[in-house]
Amino acid sequence: MAELITTVITIAVVLGGTLGACSYLIYVERKLSAFMQDRVGPNRVGPYGLFQPLADGLKFLLKEDIIPDHVDKVMFLIAPTISVFTTLLAFSVVPFGDVAADLEIGGYKALRFIIAPGIDIGIVFIFAVTSLAVYGVILGGWASNNKYSALGSLRASAQVVSYEIPLGMSVLGIALMTGSLNLETILLKQAVSILDWNIWYQPLACLIFFTAALAESNRMPFDLPECEQELVGGYHTEYSALKFALFFLGEYTHVITVSFLTAILFFGGWHFPGIAEVNSAYPGVTFVKLAVLMAKVLSVVIFIMLLRWTIPRFRFDQLMGLAWKVMIPLSLVNVVAVMTIKQFQFSLWWLLPISAAMFGAAGAIGVAAKQAELNSREPVASH
Amino acid sequence: MNPEILQLLVPLILGAGAIGWLMPSNRKKPRIVGVILGVVAIFLLVGRARGTSGSLETDVMFDLFAGITLASAGMMITARNPAYSALWFALVTLSLCGLFFLQSAPFLAAASVIVYAGAIIVTFMFVLMLASQSGAGGYDQRPQHPLLATVTATLLLGAVIVALNAWGPDKLAAEKAKAADAVVETNVARKKAPLVSNPLSKPLNEDFGTLHQLGRSLFGDYLFAVELAGTLLLVATIGAIAIAPRRSQGTL
Repeated sequence: MAELITTVITIAVVLGGTLGACSYLIYVERKLSAFMQDRVGPNRVGPYGLFQPLADGLKFLLKEDIIPDHVDKVMFLIAPTISVFTTLLAFSVVPFGDVAADLEIGGYKALRFIIAPGIDIGIVFIFAVTSLAVYGVILGGWASNNKYSALGSLRASAQVVSYEIPLGMSVLGIALMTGSLNLETILLKQAVSILDWNIWYQPLACLIFFTAALAESNRMPFDLPECEQELVGGYHTEYSALKFALFFLGEYTHVITVSFLTAILFFGGWHFPGIAEVNSAYPGVTFVKLAVLMAKVLSVVIFIMLLRWTIPRFRFDQLMGLAWKVMIPLSLVNVVAVMTIKQFQFSLWWLLPISAAMFGAAGAIGVAAKQAELNSREPVASH
Repeated sequence: MNPEILQLLVPLILGAGAIGWLMPSNRKKPRIVGVILGVVAIFLLVGRARGTSGSLETDVMFDLFAGITLASAGMMITARNPAYSALWFALVTLSLCGLFFLQSAPFLAAASVIVYAGAIIVTFMFVLMLASQSGAGGYDQRPQHPLLATVTATLLLGAVIVALNAWGPDKLAAEKAKAADAVVETNVARKKAPLVSNPLSKPLNEDFGTLHQLGRSLFGDYLFAVELAGTLLLVATIGAIAIAPRRSQGTL
């Protein structure tokens, strides 16, 4: 029974934290975009526009909720909920602090730093659940009975199904090195010293994982399912008020999940040399570990936001080419490299130059292929 | 007639009637008749074949997931709109994964979600979306051979139930009793006595269900089968690429 209460409290804290974080991340994103474009950004509601998220939320709630006549009503209503539900469900196996240390209040285990501890298949579960998120997009686009929406969801389904493959394969290297798919185990394995963080051994995998995860969450530069210039609003063209907010929330929650995974899989989770180690035991260390992890997550989120205004959107064939011709072969080679190192028990440090070499080789092959294509192209007839 | 066969035949025929009644057709039929038939059929079968695991939570979860699976499977077959059919199929897969979780097979559950719900049904939806939402012709909205399909499926289901009945609850109890006898006889025999008598689900090792053991089993006990399946898939992939027309030849 106590276990159940702890779980319910943890779920409530995670849910509340995620939703609150989402609304303020939107504020951060708006301020950051404004900064990058030399604007001021939201500054009307409260000091520095700090109450803007509340105003936004109220507006979402109070706006007229339109269900167009020509839509398939059931699907139209289910789609946004699927979008939010699946991304939130993925949080159940993500540790958001030191799992070994529970927060005790008055002798009772009040809070656990993971909703479902000890899930053997951690990452696979996350991939399974988030792979369902595409249903929200597909159904939303299809039920809207609108050509732009349908095109958006067609693009989304192709994109998400393609990028799932490099996403899963990039983590295989870490799974091989750690001997586990459990996020808690992967985190603890890195929490020895800063040189044990997976980023040193798997930099290429980190890049592939991060890129594929961005594509999965439909963020710029991979936001082809909803690109305004081509598709009005993409799959959510017909959505308004709270239903649109749910889609938006789904996307943001996905960004947060991705950031958590990047921080935990590649950057050591809550570990930081000097202040948050496995055996550091000063009062309040649990909160310091929490803060370290949150700081890492926030850095990744901000990096994603900066990317949005830095890299222009891909063309659709470029998008598909990146997944199938570049990232899938690279992640395969990466897995083979890790397997070889493990099998012959070489030093894991070999993986760093190998990753760099693979990255360089991929670039060289890409340039050579483009050059060959340009050379073989028919000369344009001149007038 | 043998009452055991009758116990099996009655629910099967009722179920076939339910599916046949619910199949979309040109005539208006009240759906409730089919639903009642189906529910009665399922309860008759459940009364015959269902054992208990001893724990209330597990039983409730099993009933819940199994119920959702059966209901969605029925809806999938009888839905008029192919897109809805695909979605009910997705729900069937998801609730089946719940059953897998109950059987301590989390990896199997996650893998089937990724492969079926996450990829295959998405591909179905991809194709179905190209068909207009409301413009499907009447010939697309009803089955071509409802009678044949129902009869075939019923025969298949009957065969599966008869086969599984060979390891039904009665036999399971008998096996357990035999195992218990063996305990009395020798301690060695107890270790070798099978926990589950169904050879389809007999655990090979003690820590069955963990990822580690699954890997060992796949790439140790069943290495040949796994490699064979892998080769088959590889050949199929190469074949698909060979058949697919090149861009320069005009399509795509």
